[in-house]
Amino acid sequence: MAEFEPQIIAFTCNWCTYAAADLAGTSRIHYPANVRIVRVMCSGMVNPMYVFKAFESGADGVIVAGCNYTDCHYIDGPVKCDAMFARLKKMVHVLGLEEERLRREMISTSEGVIFARVVEEMVEQLKKLGPSPFKIKMETLA
Amino acid sequence: MNLEDIIQETKTYYCLECGKCSSLCPISRYDPQYSPRVMVENALLGLEDEIVYNKKLFSCLTCYTCQLKCPSDVDYPLFIQKARVLATAAGQHGDYAHSGTLQSIAMLMARSPLKQNRLEWLKKDGYRTSEKSDVMLFIGCSPYFEPVFEDIPMRTLNIAEASLKVLNSLGIEPLVHPDERCCGHDALWMGDVETFKKLAEHNATVIKESGVKKVIFFCPECYRTFKLDYPNYVKLDCEVMHISELLAQRLETEGLRFNEVKRKVTYQDPCRLGRHLGIYDAPRKVLQAIPGIELVEMEHNREESICCGTSCFTNCDSYSKQIRVERLLEAKATGAETLITSCPKCQTHFRCAMVNKGEEKGPDIEIELMDLVNLVATSLGG
Amino acid sequence: MEEVKIGVYVCHCGLNIAGTVDVEEVAKYAATLPSVVVSRDYRYMCSDPGQDLIKNDIKEYVLNRVVVASCSPRMHEPTFRNACQEGGLNPYLYEHANIREHCSWVHDDKKINTEKTKDLVRAAVKRVYHHEPLEVKEAPVNPNVLVVGGGIAGIQAALDIANGEKRVYLVEREPSIGGHMIQLDRTFPTLDCSECILTPKMADVGHHPFIELLAYSEVEEVSGSIGQFKVKVRKKARHIDESKCVGCGICEEKCPWKVPSAFEMGLAMRKAIYIPFAQAIPNLVTVDPDLCVYIQSNGKKCGACIKFCEAKAITPETLLNQTDQIIELEVGSIIVATGYDQFDPSVIPQYGYGKYDNVLTGLQFERMTCAAGPTGGKVLLKDGREPESVAIIHCVGSRDQNYHEYCSRVCCMYGLKYAHLIKEFTKADVYEFYIDMRCFGEGYEEFYKRLSEEGANFIRGKVAKVTDQAVTEEEKGKLIVVAEDTLLGRLIRVPADMVILCAALEARADADKVASLFTLNRRADGFFLERHVKLDPVATPTDGVFIAGCCEGPRDIPDTVAQASAAAAKALSLISKGKITLESAIASVDETRCIGCGRCEEICTFHAPKVISKNGVMVSEVNETLCKGCGACAVVCSTGAMLIRHYKPEQILSQVAALTEVL
Repeated sequence: MAEFEPQIIAFTCNWCTYAAADLAGTSRIHYPANVRIVRVMCSGMVNPMYVFKAFESGADGVIVAGCNYTDCHYIDGPVKCDAMFARLKKMVHVLGLEEERLRREMISTSEGVIFARVVEEMVEQLKKLGPSPFKIKMETLA
Repeated sequence: MNLEDIIQETKTYYCLECGKCSSLCPISRYDPQYSPRVMVENALLGLEDEIVYNKKLFSCLTCYTCQLKCPSDVDYPLFIQKARVLATAAGQHGDYAHSGTLQSIAMLMARSPLKQNRLEWLKKDGYRTSEKSDVMLFIGCSPYFEPVFEDIPMRTLNIAEASLKVLNSLGIEPLVHPDERCCGHDALWMGDVETFKKLAEHNATVIKESGVKKVIFFCPECYRTFKLDYPNYVKLDCEVMHISELLAQRLETEGLRFNEVKRKVTYQDPCRLGRHLGIYDAPRKVLQAIPGIELVEMEHNREESICCGTSCFTNCDSYSKQIRVERLLEAKATGAETLITSCPKCQTHFRCAMVNKGEEKGPDIEIELMDLVNLVATSLGG
Repeated sequence: MEEVKIGVYVCHCGLNIAGTVDVEEVAKYAATLPSVVVSRDYRYMCSDPGQDLIKNDIKEYVLNRVVVASCSPRMHEPTFRNACQEGGLNPYLYEHANIREHCSWVHDDKKINTEKTKDLVRAAVKRVYHHEPLEVKEAPVNPNVLVVGGGIAGIQAALDIANGEKRVYLVEREPSIGGHMIQLDRTFPTLDCSECILTPKMADVGHHPFIELLAYSEVEEVSGSIGQFKVKVRKKARHIDESKCVGCGICEEKCPWKVPSAFEMGLAMRKAIYIPFAQAIPNLVTVDPDLCVYIQSNGKKCGACIKFCEAKAITPETLLNQTDQIIELEVGSIIVATGYDQFDPSVIPQYGYGKYDNVLTGLQFERMTCAAGPTGGKVLLKDGREPESVAIIHCVGSRDQNYHEYCSRVCCMYGLKYAHLIKEFTKADVYEFYIDMRCFGEGYEEFYKRLSEEGANFIRGKVAKVTDQAVTEEEKGKLIVVAEDTLLGRLIRVPADMVILCAALEARADADKVASLFTLNRRADGFFLERHVKLDPVATPTDGVFIAGCCEGPRDIPDTVAQASAAAAKALSLISKGKITLESAIASVDETRCIGCGRCEEICTFHAPKVISKNGVMVSEVNETLCKGCGACAVVCSTGAMLIRHYKPEQILSQVAALTEVL
C-alpha cells in the first residue's frame, strides 16, 4: 500500500507568507507537494469557516499564516488573526482534533526557507498522525 | 418526496388564503418580502422554483405562531421544514450566522471516529456524576457555544453546570456522556436530513448502550428533537424530560426547599418548549415556588409569546434584530430586573442583540438575562 | 443569470513550468471541468501573442471568465487582468493559478506536479465561477496639504509644496518653527552654521503666501481619508494679541520670573514671557501660564509686561481670558514630520549624567558652542574654567541591546565636529571613545581623516564608566573615563575635565499617540514604519499620509531634506492627478442582514465602517475611501452582512473545497 500522503491547505496573506512561498519558488527551495495555498489579503481575513471547510472537504492539516506583528500591510492584521485563531483552536479542541493539524505561522516575505521548513515539518507530523478524523464519514444505518 | 407530497403531508391544501399567518408572523411584520401566505400560495400553484430558490424560505423561525392560529390547521412550520429538504437537494441554503461555524461543527460531529474533549469543564467543579446512573443529562452543543459566543458574552456551560447542581440537590447523580453529539435539531430544520439522521442514530446508540432510562434536557430544542423527531427515525427506549418539568414534578410530589431570592422577573417562553410542546406552566410553577420572586408577565406571553428572532443560526438579519429589540423593550416595560428564559439559544440571541459596539447607540435594551436553572441553582444553593 | 463560460490558459513558461509539469495534460483536464469552454496551453502567456489568445477567445467563445495558470499573481495578475479588460471583460472576472513558484519550481516529481497543477487549476476554475464584475471608482483630491512638525523636514516639505503654489498648513507645537536643527551650532562635515542655513528657510515659511503657519498648535483629531481628510487643530493661547505683538522683547526683558530654558537645554534661564530664540518664526512672545505670576494670582500681582508693552499687545484681558482655539482644516494629504527626542542618558547611571556637572549631552554642547548660546560660544566648565581635556563618548543608548539596538547614524559625525570645535576654541586634548566610526556620507570620511590629522585621540572601546574617584595624583579633581582600548587590548583610565555623551536619537515619547492619530504603524524601536523599507520609504499604510525625517528613524540633515522633498513630491503628484482610484476589493454591507451591533466599527483599524441609524434601524455603512479590504470586519460580523468584494465566502470556500476534492 502506498504511503499516506496528507493534504494540507495553507491560508497565506498576500503580502508576507504568500510572497515567502513565491521566494521559496524563485530560490528553488524544494519541499513536499502536499500543500495547497489559498491566497487571502490578510491573515486577519481568515474566517474560522474557511478552516472548517478545509477539514470538512478532507484536509488533514491547515496552516494559517501571515505577516509578523511588525510588518503587516494593514497595521494589526496578525493581532486580529491571533484572536480568531485562539477561538478556532478551542472549537476544534472540543471536536477532538489533534493540535498538530492546525498551525498558526508568521512568515515574512524574506523567509522562503522557513515556509518550506514548516511544510516539511507538518507533512512529517501528519504522516505519523494518519488521516484526519473528519475525513471518515459516518455511515447512515437507515 | 416532492412538493405535492409535502402539500399532502402538511395539509397545506386546506389553506383559505386568509392571511392570518402573515399578519401574526414575527418576520412578516418587519420583512415586507416575507409572507407565509404567499409561500403557501406558490406551493399550491405548483411554483416549485419560487419556493426552492427563495432565500426567504430560510427566514421562517418555525416558531409555530401561525400554526396555532391557522383556521385550517395548516402545519406551516412542517411545510417549511420539508420544503427546505427540497431546497437543500437543489444546493440552496440560508445565510449562515457566525460564518457558518455552528453548521460546520454539527456537520463534523456527524463523522464517526471523533474523540471529543467535550467534558473538560466538568473537572473544574466537584459536581457528582455517575457512569452507572439510569438518568442522563444531555449537554448538547454547550461546549461548542462557549468559544463561538465568547464575545457576547454567553456562557452556555454555566447552564450545564447549574443543571448538574440542581440534579445533584434533587439527589440525582446523572450520567454525562463524553460521546454525545449534536441532537441534529438545526440540521433537521434546515433541510439537511442526512446529517440529522447520522446524529440521531449516533445519539440513540450511545443512549442505548449506556442503559439509561431517562434523559433530562436543559435545552428545549434538544428536548423537542428527542421527543417529537427522533421517534420518526430511530428507536429510543427511554423517557425524555425538560429540567423545568422535572422540577415542577418534584414540587408536586415532595416539595423543594428554596432560599429567598428577592427579584422581580419576567419569563420568555421558548418556542420549542411553549408552542411546540405546550409546556407553559412548569417553568412558571418553579419560578413562583421560589420565595421572593415576583413574576410579571410580558404583554405577549405563553401562546402569544414572541420568538427570540432567529432559529438555527440562519438568516439572522436586521429583521431578527428588530424582533429582539421589540421583545426586550417589552420585557423592560414590565419593570422586571431579570428576563428569565429556559432556552440557551433564546438567551444567546438576546445577549447578541445587546451588543452595541458602535459609537452611535441604538435603543436601550439592556436587561439582566438568566436561565431558569441558574436561578434555581442559586436558590437551592444554601 | 448569464451562462458562465470559462477560458483556461496553462503557461509553459518555457521549461520553467513545462519542464516539471505536463502542461498539455493539465490543459486537457481543465477542458473537462464544468463551464470551461476553451482550454489551451501556450509557451509564454505573458507575451503579446499569449495575451492576444485571451483577447481573441473572449470574442470568439464569448468568454465571461478567464483563468491563467502561470507564475505568481504578484507578478502577472495585473498583466492578465489588463488583457481581459482590453478584451472587453471586467478585470475582476479573472483568476490566477500560481503553478510556477508554488509548484513547478519547488517539487521535482513530474507526475505529482501535474496532479497538483490540476488541483490548483480546478480550484481557480471553481473560484472564478463565483467572481463578480467590480466597478473601479474614483474620488477627488483636496489640493491642500497638512504638514505636521516645523523642523527642517516639515519646513522643507512645506516650502516645496507651497512653491508649487499649493496651500500648506504647517502645524508646530512649539512657539517657533526650527525644530532640533535650529538648536545646532554648526553642521558636519562642512561646518557651516546651522542658523545661517536654516533661518532663510524659516523666514520663507513665515511670509510665504501659500503657507499658513500654525505655530504653538497641535493636531487633535483626524478623520476622513486620502483626498479628503478633516483635521482639528488646537491653537494654544499665547496670552497676547498676536496681531499687535511686534516681537520687540521689552516685556521679556522686564519680566522677573524665570525657569530653565528648554531651548538652551537647561544651560540658561528663560522668562515667563518669552521668545525662545532670537530668530523665532513667528516672532511673537508667548506667556507660560504656569509661571506667570499675574495669571497665577488672577491679576493681583506683577503685570510688568502689560505696563511696558508699547504695542498694547499684552492686556489683562489677553493674560486672563484668552483661551485655546480649535481650527478645522480640510486637506487631501498629510505629511508627518514630528522628529525625535534625545535619549536621556541619566538612565545609564555609570556615565554620571545629572550627577557630575561637566557631563553634558550633545545638544547641551551644541548650545555651548553657539555664539548666541548661554556661554557666548565659549567652551567652559561649570566653574568658568576652560577644559584641558575632553572625552566624547559615542553610542550612548545606541547600538546597545539594553537601550536601543539601532545605530543613531549622526553621532560619529557630530562627535568629530565637537573634536574640531574644541580644538578650535580651546587647547584641550580630545578623546573620542567609539565602537566603530561610521562615516558614510558625502565628505564624511574626509572629515574623519581631517580630525585624525588635527590631533584628536581615537580610542576604540565602549566606555564602562565615568567616575570622580581618583586613584592617582594626576586624576584628582578630574572625571575619569574608564574603558578598554580594544585595539591595544588594555584597560585605560583617561582623566578629563568635560565628558560629552553622544546620546541616541529616539522616537518621540508621544509617538504612540501620533501613530494612532494618523493611523501609522510603528516599528519595534518606536519609530514610524514606512510602507516599504526600500521601495516606498515615505508612504505609510494609510493612503495619503506620508512621513519624513527623524520620526521614521535617525538620519542626518541631507537625508532628512531629501526625504522631505520626496514626501512633498508624493503629495504634489496626488494633487496634480486630482483624483484617486479607490480599491475595488473592499468591504460592503448587506443592509438587510446587518444588525447594527458595531463589531465591524470596533475592529477596523482604518475607521471605515460606522454604525448609523437609517429610518430608525441601526446599520453599518462603509466609507469606501477608508477601507483597505483587509477583511477583519467580515470575520467578526455575526450575521454575514459584511462581505469583502472579490473575497466573498462562496469564492474562497469553493476554492478550498476544490483543492481537497478527492478525485
